[in-house]
Amino acid sequence: MSSFFSTELNKKIKEYLGRYETKRSSILPILHAVQDENDWISPEAVQALETEHGLSVVDVNEVLSFYTMYRKAPPKPYRLEVCGSISCWLHGADKTIAEAKKHIAAVEAAGKPVPFECHKVECLGVCGYAPVALVNKDRHLNVTPEAALKLIEDYSKKELPAAAKKCAADLAARQPKP
Amino acid sequence: MPVMKSPYNGRQPNEFRILTELEGVPNSRSIETYKKHGGYAALEKILKGGMSPDEVINIVKASGLRGRGGAGFPTGMKWGFVPKAPGEKYLITNFDEGEPGTYKDRYIAELNAHMLIEGKLIGAYAIGASKSYIYIRGEFYEEIAWCEQAIKEAYDAGYLGDNILGTGFKHHMDVYVGAGAYICGEETGLISSLEGKKGQPKLKPPFPAVKGYLGKPTIVNNVETLAVVPWIIRNGAEAYKKFGTEKSAGTKLFNISGPVVRPGCYELPLGYPLKKFIYEDCGGLIDGKKLKAVIPGGASAPVLTAEEVENMTMDYEAFAAAGTMLGSGAVIVIPEDVSMVHVLENLMHFFKDESCGQCTPCREGTGWLLKMSRDIVNGEGAPGDAEKIAEVAGKMMGRTICTFSDAAAGPARSIPQKFAHEFVEFYKLNKTAAQEVR
Repeated sequence: MSSFFSTELNKKIKEYLGRYETKRSSILPILHAVQDENDWISPEAVQALETEHGLSVVDVNEVLSFYTMYRKAPPKPYRLEVCGSISCWLHGADKTIAEAKKHIAAVEAAGKPVPFECHKVECLGVCGYAPVALVNKDRHLNVTPEAALKLIEDYSKKELPAAAKKCAADLAARQPKP
Repeated sequence: MPVMKSPYNGRQPNEFRILTELEGVPNSRSIETYKKHGGYAALEKILKGGMSPDEVINIVKASGLRGRGGAGFPTGMKWGFVPKAPGEKYLITNFDEGEPGTYKDRYIAELNAHMLIEGKLIGAYAIGASKSYIYIRGEFYEEIAWCEQAIKEAYDAGYLGDNILGTGFKHHMDVYVGAGAYICGEETGLISSLEGKKGQPKLKPPFPAVKGYLGKPTIVNNVETLAVVPWIIRNGAEAYKKFGTEKSAGTKLFNISGPVVRPGCYELPLGYPLKKFIYEDCGGLIDGKKLKAVIPGGASAPVLTAEEVENMTMDYEAFAAAGTMLGSGAVIVIPEDVSMVHVLENLMHFFKDESCGQCTPCREGTGWLLKMSRDIVNGEGAPGDAEKIAEVAGKMMGRTICTFSDAAAGPARSIPQKFAHEFVEFYKLNKTAAQEVR
């Protein structure tokens, strides 16, 4: 029987299932691993965790819906997550977020896709170097509006991350054949 | 990835270095560096010297060490609450650093996570735990890797395993990664999360020391609390008590943010003058701005006016006497050109976003507080709104499972009370004018 997950991911899932005192404790790390491979956690992935690995859909969805780091919808390849909490806000994080969003919207309105989405997040825990932002898993410090635009430009030139490619391919495969 | 750098390398007075001893030392994160600076000597002293768990607890009690995560509960006493009866017990490190303004625990991992691992081993020996976790927030990608690397090194060196240093002491350690929920910094919420559930806090009693992770006795300690324990064991309780004040013993990591010249993480003795810290150590405010207010212990701490900062010292008692708290040691500096109404709105957004939704006063209250403060910011406030905010916040206190609701009420009561005049100015503005004020 073919699996929803890759061989490598299945191996990781099995390792997590036996790593903690209870099977349930493995849900958070497993969801991180699924997201790392697929860029998001689809309803099909949740279903496959039950049928293939015996994790209840109810238990998994409880975790999935509570924690904000899990993406429940297919994202764009890069996520610029800017901290908007008090210390970063004092250093103009709101301007960084507004400028980045405006830039992405303007370029896309002109018909050119941007592989970026921008979100305000709560405290990222590096408050002395505000504004702080993440691009996927990379941390960036002192992200002024200019620095944010530069990040969007620089990352956009790179080869897409593997998870983003897989996500795009999975979505394309879902489209009904003409 | 940009490397974090501390602007204080070599600048900090030597006598204050306990946790920051490895600041500026090349290759500081390795186990070799740690051992060269006395690392794991405390563990060896305990295990090979035949020190009993009670003796360890008594030293920690005598040192006056109090929880550095925010609550300030005496650490030795907390360890002493664990039942002596045999059976599975757990020690969990709270590395869910997320209180706005706080970035000290990650600094410990940046310097050397072995301080934490050795502290955890000592704590585990004291309470009789054979398994421990480091619960770390998911966004700390680098910090997770540093902790995992240090655990691996400790296993390889024989400090973790079934027969540690050949003494028969058994202990295993693992990292558990969170997924973006501030409430998991609350100890029972953290335990729920570690059990693979929503990170919702549980009613106390029973306290985790009696009934925690999977219903077993569990101690949850902050990173900074545990990381200082090896030094205390090596140098003795009296040496630690030489720092700080009578009731607030030792040093503490103070993390400062906001527009100061030299932001960062500073190790200082408790009782250190707040004004001196801001103006001398941190170089004052940028562009010579004037100070308006300080949030002294992270977003949950009630605000202090510039006037109150004048003679304030940074210890549990002085802050409590001023109606606020030391919290996580996160000093947030607010300059004169920032509106306190906006500060309130920003803080309320945080609390609304992070409320776990379990208890009605908190779930609904944080929403009301955000909506009311947002209306004022948008020029739609009316006289009496500030008082209403403080009143609603007052009714959110002491009525919920955990203290998150009380934390939200901290700024929501103190800002309207201490800066009432700024709210009055806001009511007079029309929508357009209000939105121009920052």
